Amino acid sequence: MKILAVCSTGLGSSFMTHLNIDKALKTLGVSGVEVDHADLGSVSADSADAVFVGRDIAEAAQGLGDVVVLDSLIDQNEIQTKVAATLERHGIEVPS
Amino acid sequence: MLTELLTPDRIRFADDVGSWRTAITLVSEPLVTDGTITTDYVDAVTESIAAPGGTYIDLGFGFALAHARPERGVVRPGLSYLRVRPAVDLADDPAHPIDVFLLLAATGSAEHVQTMQELAMLLTDEDARTRLLEAVSPADVTSALPQIGQNA
Repeated sequence: MKILAVCSTGLGSSFMTHLNIDKALKTLGVSGVEVDHADLGSVSADSADAVFVGRDIAEAAQGLGDVVVLDSLIDQNEIQTKVAATLERHGIEVPS
Repeated sequence: MLTELLTPDRIRFADDVGSWRTAITLVSEPLVTDGTITTDYVDAVTESIAAPGGTYIDLGFGFALAHARPERGVVRPGLSYLRVRPAVDLADDPAHPIDVFLLLAATGSAEHVQTMQELAMLLTDEDARTRLLEAVSPADVTSALPQIGQNA
């Protein structure tokens, strides 16, 4: 399972999202999920199993497969809830 | 370390700035002055925000992490802070009111990784966010930073 956080530059917003997804996985007690970040231009539909983006590039990210849209990139509660839902959608059991 | 990048001279407060473009100019000033970034970087950040979807730097809770690609004028890593009162709408979009502009000069180096880890930790912490929003002096901002060491 691979989750990719995506933004326009691939350096700031997506990196922050990546780190917060890592934190959510740790809190949820899930291991073995690969997380990375990238810029929108370098990502294709087969780059990852799920793609996390901020709401402003949700439209541009259409066609990248399972796209998860975040209202805030620093709301850990939202990120954790959406990470857990994504894992379940992809058949990964969430212990907590 | 964030405390090394976000030094007191890079922390500013401004009233009635009126527009997000002025906010970007103001938050950039300390970094341009000390040679951390060139004015080209300021242009790149402004263009990026004005472009379609440019409001993606709105992290939520009134924080914006303004940045562009390193090759657009980053000389060395840096970070600056600007608190605007009242909030201004990013890209003139009322859906994106911003209270705190953070301007990130990133290089993509190992140091950038550490900076982002510290920023992520800081900004996901509700108490730290409140302190950064309520700050009225550089000391208020820098005192919110060391807390992340204790949470790590």
